[in-house]
Amino acid sequence: MKKHVNLLLTAIGNIIRNRVRNVVLILCLIAVLFPFITAISISEGIRFQSLISVEEGADIYVTLDHYGSNAPIPLHYLPRFQRMEGVSKAIPRVVGRAYFADRLATIVGIPPEEISRSIRLAQGKMLREKGEVVIGKALANAVHLQTGVRFTLSPNPSKIFRVSGVFDSNMSIWSSNLILMTFEDASELFLMRGMATDILIYTAPGHAQRLAREIMTAATNRDSSEPPLRVQDKPLVRRYFQRGFDYKSGVFTALFTVAFAFAIPALLVISGFGQTERKKEIGVLKATGWQTQEVMEMATLENLVISLTSAPLAILAAMVWLKWFNGAFIAKFFIAEIGLMAPFSVPSRFLPLASILAFLFAVVLTMMGSLYPTWKTATVPPVEAMR
Amino acid sequence: METIIRTEKVEKIYYQGRPEEVLALHQIDLEIVKNQFVLIRGPSGSGKTTLLNVISTIDRPTRGRVLLHGEDVSNYSDIHLSRIRQKTIGLVFQNFNLLPRLPAWENVAFPLLPLGIMVKERQRRAVEILNQLKLEKRVNHPPEQMSGGEQQRVAIARALINDPEIVIADEPTSNIDAESIQILLDTLMDLKAKGKTVIVCSHDPIFLNCSETTFLLTNGKLVGIEHTESR
Repeated sequence: MKKHVNLLLTAIGNIIRNRVRNVVLILCLIAVLFPFITAISISEGIRFQSLISVEEGADIYVTLDHYGSNAPIPLHYLPRFQRMEGVSKAIPRVVGRAYFADRLATIVGIPPEEISRSIRLAQGKMLREKGEVVIGKALANAVHLQTGVRFTLSPNPSKIFRVSGVFDSNMSIWSSNLILMTFEDASELFLMRGMATDILIYTAPGHAQRLAREIMTAATNRDSSEPPLRVQDKPLVRRYFQRGFDYKSGVFTALFTVAFAFAIPALLVISGFGQTERKKEIGVLKATGWQTQEVMEMATLENLVISLTSAPLAILAAMVWLKWFNGAFIAKFFIAEIGLMAPFSVPSRFLPLASILAFLFAVVLTMMGSLYPTWKTATVPPVEAMR
Repeated sequence: METIIRTEKVEKIYYQGRPEEVLALHQIDLEIVKNQFVLIRGPSGSGKTTLLNVISTIDRPTRGRVLLHGEDVSNYSDIHLSRIRQKTIGLVFQNFNLLPRLPAWENVAFPLLPLGIMVKERQRRAVEILNQLKLEKRVNHPPEQMSGGEQQRVAIARALINDPEIVIADEPTSNIDAESIQILLDTLMDLKAKGKTVIVCSHDPIFLNCSETTFLLTNGKLVGIEHTESR
């Protein structure tokens, strides 16, 4: 045990003695690792927010089924769903998109009485009547909208809306480009009177699965010229989200792997700096009685110490990047239609996995650069190493 | 008289099989007796250092055998050879081979590291030897702040830290001043007096007065052995 303590202390001493080389190595490791950690944290943050949205959302989403895709559903289904046993409430909703001064806005229309009172606003008040809208902070900043301003939207320029409030920027990312209005206004805006893009069904606890089945059965048995219904329950929506994020994480990981592949040779060169001096040192150690195994243990401990230093610093850098620079350049891989700097607070979540991966990557990178040359030097006759 | 080291038909070939092949040692047969002062002499390029490297196990012969206490160590594994160097042989290199930036005491003490001896004890032992070699004022100095003679003595201290049976020095006078040469001679004679076997390779005639056995090398061949009366 004492021998291992000695080797560890010597490894730390060696790192301090060769501080210039090791500081450069640690900085390179941080530069390689911190985008990865930032990406993982953003991905986890968005995933977490998405899952909260799914959990807090409706239990069942019903639309019409057009060629396997969602299609607007006539409102005459609404009372039928409301009457079903176990349904707490059924709410019609319109979700659409419209360009607003060259910026794509998400438009959501729901009955004003169904809007949660807990939503935080940066300014103004929540919409309560027809013609009023609440808009996302990013959108408000981009097009310089304030409370009280009136505007129109391209799908139906005859309709005039008035900004009653602006969402807080720290709300979920979904609200940044949102225009929230009454269901009636949204139907009129998209010229879809009597239709909803979906009906949200909230159920009493334990009824969701049965109700989803019953709606599906009723939809398949019904005799109508209308297209069939499409019923999506919470587990299905959860899977959709998961799949979407897995895809985005996959794209980022692929890009990062390419960057990582370029980083390896650079780190190999840096970690190889001072190898001539190192080679001689190893030769002297071996000549004075050190075993190859002891030389290797010391080199491994040096790499572990460097990795243990780099990984937390990379995590710290990622935290700073998220806090001060709002995950610039990296967030856009995960959040659609944002520029280099997101106009809202990018969600992030640091899980132990990120720390473990950062450490493992750092270990792999440093070990690749130094262990093989060390082993090669330690196994030749000492006189050759010292030459 | 107990033989401590024997070589049998030792050959060392560098760049074997290549056009620049060099036969550095040719059929060397010699015997070194325990507790003797042995000098290996010869002109530059005669193979003195190569022979010393092979004897000290930091290099392997291309052919032939090196026997230490009667055991053939030429084919020993890397682990065994390291163990021999740790316990039996103390080496003093021509260019000292001290680790830069490490203070003198750490340079002396690092062979003790793998033995699990903790820092205080390592320091105590290193300082004790450095004091014996009149380096008490240089204990915390790195090699670059020391003269050649002082670095030489630090290298000797390092060779002695594990209390080896055999002390081997390669051209120990080549990089030091006259005053340091006298301290070196005294130290080596003192080691011999303490029962160690001292093997020095040098072309410096100053060792002729000390050595009990002198091997003369020319062009990689052992051309003469000279025995003088025990001192």
